[in-house]
Amino acid sequence: MTLWRQIKNAFFTALCSSSVLFLAVALMLFLFPMLWKGSKAVFFRKTVEFDKMQKELFKRGKAEDLERRTAQTNQARREALDLLEHFSRGIDTALLSREARSAYQQLGRHLRYLEVADEEYARLREQAKEIRDAFLQALDTVDKAEAESLLDTVDAQRSNSRFQNSPFEIVFSLSKQYRQILQEIDLSRRSEYAAELDIVKTEMRKLFGPLPGESVPPLPQDRFGATRWDVAQKHLHYLIYQTKWVPSGKDDKRLIPKQIRRDDPDEGIFGKTELAPLFSMVEQNLAAMLQPRPTIYWRYFLDDSTAGHYFGGAGPEVLGTLLLTVLSMCFAVPLGVLSAAYLVEYAADGITTRVIRTCINTLAGVPSIVYGLFGLAFFVLMVGKPCILSASMTLALLVLPVIIRASEEAIRAVPQSYKEASLALGAGKFRTFLTVTLPAAGPGILTGIILSLSRAAGETAPILFAGAVALGPIPNIGLHLKWLFQPTRALSYGCYDITVGDRLAMQVPHNQFGMVMTLILLVLVLNLAAIFLRWRMSRKLQGI
Amino acid sequence: MSAYQFRNLSTVLIGFSLLVCWAGAADKVLQIDGSTTVGPLGDAFAEVFKELHPDVSITVKKTGSGDGAAALIDGRCDIAMMSRFMKDKEFQQAIEKGVYPVAHVIAMDGVCIVVHPSNPISELRMDQVRDIYMGKITNWKELGGPDMPIVPVSRDTSSGTYESFHSMVMNNEKMAPNVEYVNSNPQAHARIRSTPGAIGYVGIGFLDRYVKPLKINGVTPTRSTIAKGIYPVSRPLFLFTNGYPKLGSIVHAFCTFYLTEKGQEIIEAKGFVPLTEY
Repeated sequence: MTLWRQIKNAFFTALCSSSVLFLAVALMLFLFPMLWKGSKAVFFRKTVEFDKMQKELFKRGKAEDLERRTAQTNQARREALDLLEHFSRGIDTALLSREARSAYQQLGRHLRYLEVADEEYARLREQAKEIRDAFLQALDTVDKAEAESLLDTVDAQRSNSRFQNSPFEIVFSLSKQYRQILQEIDLSRRSEYAAELDIVKTEMRKLFGPLPGESVPPLPQDRFGATRWDVAQKHLHYLIYQTKWVPSGKDDKRLIPKQIRRDDPDEGIFGKTELAPLFSMVEQNLAAMLQPRPTIYWRYFLDDSTAGHYFGGAGPEVLGTLLLTVLSMCFAVPLGVLSAAYLVEYAADGITTRVIRTCINTLAGVPSIVYGLFGLAFFVLMVGKPCILSASMTLALLVLPVIIRASEEAIRAVPQSYKEASLALGAGKFRTFLTVTLPAAGPGILTGIILSLSRAAGETAPILFAGAVALGPIPNIGLHLKWLFQPTRALSYGCYDITVGDRLAMQVPHNQFGMVMTLILLVLVLNLAAIFLRWRMSRKLQGI
Repeated sequence: MSAYQFRNLSTVLIGFSLLVCWAGAADKVLQIDGSTTVGPLGDAFAEVFKELHPDVSITVKKTGSGDGAAALIDGRCDIAMMSRFMKDKEFQQAIEKGVYPVAHVIAMDGVCIVVHPSNPISELRMDQVRDIYMGKITNWKELGGPDMPIVPVSRDTSSGTYESFHSMVMNNEKMAPNVEYVNSNPQAHARIRSTPGAIGYVGIGFLDRYVKPLKINGVTPTRSTIAKGIYPVSRPLFLFTNGYPKLGSIVHAFCTFYLTEKGQEIIEAKGFVPLTEY
């Protein structure tokens, strides 16, 4: 019999410890990859483009140092960029056609300025239009002979004295230029080249920022090249390799991917063109072109971000979450502790208190979105608009049941003898509660607070309608209390926003997970602070 | 100073500061709410707009087209972003509450029907897509592809993208129970990217090397076919305001921002199609 009991005991111990182990492993499996991916938002290898971005967007870094490095990298990039520009002039005829069009428009203005007679004006415009159209057709066609004959009709008008020394003259020089290009490229493959060249240009822009001669893009996300070395590596791969989906050969009709180098002499699209050296040039000199250096971007936790969280950090979100959490605790803790005290110390154990207790227990299990809708219908209407105040009151309501229950347990656990001693010394009921029961129940109450802190910091649904925004002004904390009536960004809503909205999220996974990591760290820090407080409190209680 | 006096003083101070904040709350504020599809545009507009009008504080919220409409009707926002037109019911509610919704079309978007790149199918007719989502076609074999079950992926029913697909492709017919629902464009993209048999629909901005757009009725979704409205599942993206905004007001400036060159460039950079050539 004893053996049987021992076996049962051992089995139970094994079961308990294995479930704890299982939990720990699950937590690690879930938490570690998240934190690892998130840590890349802070620890990574930055490039010179990162410093440019910091300088321009956040006004950081030494100007001379950056100028020197920019000059060095520009030097390294020049050859590749020149090659690209030269090659694309023949393929991308958009520039030539634009110039021809504008020359025609300017001719009209020029003739008006010379006050040419109406009839003459109409005739010249008609003539110029014919020439322009012939040139545009020559750009469009893929037949070399046709293009050359069209260019001949253009050149036939070269000697027309009315076009000489006019803005239209440029069309003839464009025609000469295009004639030269015609000798170099294979027109029949132009559209194929154009599509691929578009990809190459996009990847070059992703690596090195706007190409020379391009205007500054309106959004900061397009103003800089690859700011991180890992991102640069990814775009280098996209630049060099194209993925072709080819039949697998077997009976199955599925296609399989095949990686082909763009400069492969046989299969690569640019293999036999002038552009071929570009790829190995970039591949070999990427480090010189970008100058990667390891860095710790600790300002991630403080910086504002650009649209779609492309650059920058999670500063406003951290501030917003802190404000919401702390403020909701300010509402929930006094209310919760007082109601717990009432339930334990004052209320008689009748049907009413039992109903109240059941209600509180039920409230603890109500889905958070219900609180969110209640917050929208009640607090938002009460305050007047969605803002920090209404959001934190909604959160306070959400955590109230947890705090009440924990406090109730803690207050009930205070030995009756403590209270009796206090009462015997002549203290009133209220004084006894304030000076004896509450301090003794402190650690237990703090446990409830710890549990609810993480919940308040992490919930999205309650603040979704009550005061969280994807983009908004950063709360300017001060005595004026104006910030209470502003909506705010928050980490939990930020995580949601970055995942559902923008296609950018796919390009900046480090920022996406960075925000998740920040949320976990913030909750951890808040919890540690509360745990430290509890430890201090219980030490004091024990009289150490 | 006695404790009593101190308490009095602090009460007065708090009361005063509360008064101040009520008075100060009426700064120039622009509240924007609505579609997750139009949201990135709202974000980007707001970011550039802030530089042009530094005295305005803009808030952007993305909770879906339906909620955007509700927020405009309730007066919770100044501008509602929507990826579909307002429904009759919403119009009615608005009029009843004295709100007169005015639509501003700011860009075009194509709802591109996409499959995994390993799928040899490159063209479908509208009725074939409908049959797939109604559960009448369940294997790619029936369409001339490999022997592989079709996994139809749809957006959740509250999104404007779903509404567009539902009315333009499905002719408002019910989808089959085996259709998977996902919450957002990125999720749809991720699901199709990782599933060889999947078919789904995403905005044109989400086309990349990992998903393959299908020709629908012989039309490839490109910027030009979408801008011209030739691609059969093109849709305009809207901003809705309460009445036409007062000329010269901040709402007016924001609603006409898409007409500026910068606005058009942002639309392009965010993966949508501008309405005009700039």
